[in-house]
Order: sequence, then structure tokens, then C-alpha cells
Amino acid sequence: MQLYKERLERLEAVMKGKEPDRVPIYAATAVWHGAYAGYTTRDVLFNYEKSREAALKVARDFDFDAWAVIAGLEGMILCAAFIEKAPEIGVPARFLVGRFHEALKDVFTRWPGIELAENAHPQFIGKEVMSVEEYGQLAENPVDFLNKVILPRMCEKLQNPGSPEYNAALARFGLEVERYSSFFNSLIGGLISLGYPAIPMAWSYAPLDFIGDFLRDVRNVVLDLYRHPDKVKQAVKALTPLFVKTAAVSGFVPPEVKRALGTDMVLCFFPLHLNEYLNPKLYKEFYWPYLKKVFEEVIKLGQTPFVLFEGKHDAHLETLLDLPKKKVVGVFEKTDPRKVKEVAGDHVILVSGPPNALLIGGTPQKVEEFMKKLLEDVKEGGLMIWPGVDGGLSRDAKPENVKAMVEAIKKYGKY
Amino acid sequence: MAGEDFVKALSDLDEAKVIELTEKRIKSKEDPFSIIEDVRKATEIIGRRFEEGRYFVSDLIMAGEILKQVMDILRPVMGKRKGVSKGKVVVGTVEGDVHDIGLSIVTALLEAEGFEVVNLGVDQPPQAFIEAIRKHNPKVVGLSGLLTEAIESMKKTVEAIKAAGLRDKVKIIVGGGRVSGEVKEYTGADEWADDAAVGVRKIKALAEVA
Repeated sequence: MQLYKERLERLEAVMKGKEPDRVPIYAATAVWHGAYAGYTTRDVLFNYEKSREAALKVARDFDFDAWAVIAGLEGMILCAAFIEKAPEIGVPARFLVGRFHEALKDVFTRWPGIELAENAHPQFIGKEVMSVEEYGQLAENPVDFLNKVILPRMCEKLQNPGSPEYNAALARFGLEVERYSSFFNSLIGGLISLGYPAIPMAWSYAPLDFIGDFLRDVRNVVLDLYRHPDKVKQAVKALTPLFVKTAAVSGFVPPEVKRALGTDMVLCFFPLHLNEYLNPKLYKEFYWPYLKKVFEEVIKLGQTPFVLFEGKHDAHLETLLDLPKKKVVGVFEKTDPRKVKEVAGDHVILVSGPPNALLIGGTPQKVEEFMKKLLEDVKEGGLMIWPGVDGGLSRDAKPENVKAMVEAIKKYGKY
Repeated sequence: MAGEDFVKALSDLDEAKVIELTEKRIKSKEDPFSIIEDVRKATEIIGRRFEEGRYFVSDLIMAGEILKQVMDILRPVMGKRKGVSKGKVVVGTVEGDVHDIGLSIVTALLEAEGFEVVNLGVDQPPQAFIEAIRKHNPKVVGLSGLLTEAIESMKKTVEAIKAAGLRDKVKIIVGGGRVSGEVKEYTGADEWADDAAVGVRKIKALAEVA
């Protein structure tokens, strides 16, 4: 357990705002482990035994500090819909995995071996399932509206509440959630025995993203901001407490589990989507005040927001200074980490890493050069590396480049 | 001047005013092609503001929406007359990727600029691009993709175009949120863009009409 302890200390130190012995690596993927072990995306997304075997092979062959397989697409709507009445379903259904898609036939996602080729990456496409006239109904009672109105539109198998198909689909979904949970827990167990720390993760969301991703579709929600600003504002306001609740429920870790894992940290995951789309005026009016409120409440719960700032966050960097210092971990996908430091200083705990294009198309030497420069420029004060900073390790990231990244961090990432 | 007001309203994304002015100009029997010329001027301003960091993707989405409405009003009055085309561009999302938001914005902006755009749609195998090149003889081919897994598909598509003996006939640009100079080198494309406005500017340059 020496390795477990060493890695955990490194991760905890940096995420609590301190410099550890060296820069830690938090690696995550949906399918890269499968490609590494010789499996198709279909194999690892639908066959949990293959996914587990491949993930453990990566764990043995690579020396990351944290290693996570996120086998699903964006599915926070399931978490939000079930969190009050069935948290045991809502929490593990945070990511929409292929088997849930089979059970429910949701209209949002596309999967290899179903709608896509056997080795394609699964994709979240989304769909407009709520009309502009329904903002008021959403605002009145979000959870009720999601269950009664949205789930039947979002899932072909749930179109007709009370029908044999509907009941069968929900029962099957419950069964698949249980199967997925067992896989996930057995994978965590396997990783712990290989010295990979498990830091609990809670689930939350930016209220406006929820409307864009699951209800109105990204394009429509943007047009709504110009055409129906008051309606949108009323709805994001009503959704804000829901994402404090999802965090509180999913992030509750019993004391005996905390002791067993050796950590009192609970991270809270936020993937931001519309941040890159919105101009600063819209961002400050419809997005940031509500997300900030959720961050503040989540921090009060004792959790550490772990935020994926997707795309370019450059125009909104100064808003990070509104947050309590060193309480938020930020992965910056396309914003230069040097610029983050320049604008936000050490206010936010910085996570950066090599982009997938470099891990796919580069050479070990190029990767080393990139890492050396990155570490020299921004490791001071604490930094964590998220390999394939644009979405986690891509199916096509070359193992020799990933190895070169790890070696470079060991060489240039010491404090 | 109706033209100046129109260009200002469109480049400021004032939806109601643009529609009102378009209808007014049609009513006063103005040549629809002079309106289209103003649409081009406004689109150029919008693209420039985006590159200067004054406009964002949300503004491009709104611009695309207004442009679509203006074109819907103009189309019936233009009849069979065609404007001067700046050339043909074939665009599509590469095999394995089914995202289309970037593709739609680029198509709307290119059409407003006066290009004839052949939009193949999403998840298009290399063969579809090859057939479109043979059929339409475009100046530029745009390969789009959002996933990092699209990078490998872009490379395969460029290689297939080369193997079909068509590489010298077209310029190729790769585009998408995760595309970079690295991706351009790796795929063997001529240009790259990670946002729609830069993509349109580079396509204009590649088509030698900039």
C-alpha cells in the first residue's frame, strides 16, 4: 500500500493548493484502455469484463497517480431526474453508458455497434425535447417536469408511461444500473489493489448547460438568450438548487468508507460546455452567477469542485477571482495555462496537459519537449497533469507518447 | 441609406431590424443582388469581430439564424438568376463523427460570402469526399470533426484523396474544436482552423479570392 499512500498524498497535496513532491498525473479515458489492449470501442463499452481487464492492464503498464475509466456519455439528466426518489439509481447513472442506451433508447446518444461502426467513439448529439413555451413549467418544479414530460420524450422506450414497454424499460434500466455499479466497484477494487487511489467524486452541473445539453439543444438555448432572456433566467434560477442537491446526495461518503480510502476529500465534477460559446455579457448574465452559487454551496458542503473548462475560457478568466481562493480545481482544455496563471494567479488549482493531437500525431521527443516547457512555465505553486487535456486520452493516443509524457513528468516535474 | 442601416443592423445582430429592413427593401423593388452584396459586407464584419475577440460562438449562431431568415425572404424574389459565385467548396464531417454544429455555421457563413457549398453531412467516408470532388470539382474541401478520434479519419481521407489522384486538384482544410497546426501536419492538409470565422477566412484565401 506504499504506492497507494504515495500517490494519494501527491494528489491531495496539489488539490488542497500545496506543492507535492512532484506534479501528479490524473489520467482518464472512455476507450483508450481498450485500444491499448487490442479491443474495439464496442468491446470495452458493452463488455464490462473486457473493459476491466484492459483498464487493469493500463494500470500495471503505466505509472499514473490517478486512473479513471469514464465509460459513458453526458447523462446528468438521469442523475437529476432520479436523485430525489431513487438516489441509488440517480448517482451511478450520472454517465449514460451503452447498456442504458439499449434499455431506454434515448434520442441523445449514438453508440458503436448500434448506430455507429464497431470501433467508433460513442457520441452525444442531443435533441430539442422542450419547447420555448415550457420554460415556465420547468421552473415551477424541475424534477417533476423532468420525470413527467422530458423522460418520455428523451427515451423512445418511455414514450407511453404505464405501458408494458415503459415498465419493462424502467425495470431493465434498473438492472443495468446495478450491473454497471458492480463493474465500477470491482474496477475500483482492482485499481486500489494496484496502488491507485480512489478519491470520491460527486456530481453537479452548470444550470444553463443543463438546459442546453438536455432540454433545448445548444443552438436553441443560445437563440433563447437573445429572444427570451427572462424565461431562461427564471429556469436557471429554479435549476440552481437541484445541482446543489445532486452534489450533496452523490457526495455523501460514510466515515468508514473515508477511513478505508484514506482520504477525507470529495471532489465534485462539473463539465462546462457553453462557456466557450457565450460572449462575456451573456456569460455574466445567464451562466456565471448561477454556476458560482452552486460552486459556493458545494464548497460549503466540504467538497472540492473539479471543473472541466471546455474549449477556450480566455474571455471569462477574470471571473475565477470571484471564487474562494484555492478551493476549485480547474482543467483548462484550450486556454493556455500560462494565461490562466497570469490572470487568475494561484486562485484556481491549475490542471493542464498535452492535447490529444500531440499524443496522436507527435513523437516521444516532441512530447518530452512539450512537457518540459509546460512544467517549467507553470508547475510553480502546484499543477496537475490531465493527459489528453481535450476530453481525456483519445482512442488513438499512441502508447509510446503517453509513456514519454509520464517519463517527462518524472524528470521535469519534481519540486 | 437603407444599405448602410442594413449592414449595421445585421453586423450588430439586430434580428427584428434586419428582417424589417429586408422586407422594406424588397417592397421598394430593390435589386435582391444589392441586398446580397450587403449581406456579404455584414458577414465580413461579423467574421472580423469574431477574430478580434469581440464576437463569440453565440454571436455566430445568432448571425447564422438571421442570415437564414434573410435568404428565405430573398430566394423567391431572386427567381432563376444566380449571383456571381466565388467558387465551389465541398464540406463534410469525416467518418466516425456525427457532429454538425461547426459544419452548419461554416456553411451559413460561406454561403453568405457567395460560395456554392456542397455540404455532404456527417459521418462521411473518404469515398464520399472523392466522389464529391469528381462530381463538383471544388476549389476547396473542408474536413470537419469534433472528436479527437476524427483526426485519424481526416488523415485517412486526405490519403484516400491523394491515392485517387485528386490531391493536386483541391486545397484541403481540416476544421474542428480539437484541430491544431499539429493536426494539419499529421493529416497532410493545407490549412487548419479551430473556429468557424478563421475557417471561412482561410477557405477564402485557399480559393484565392481573399
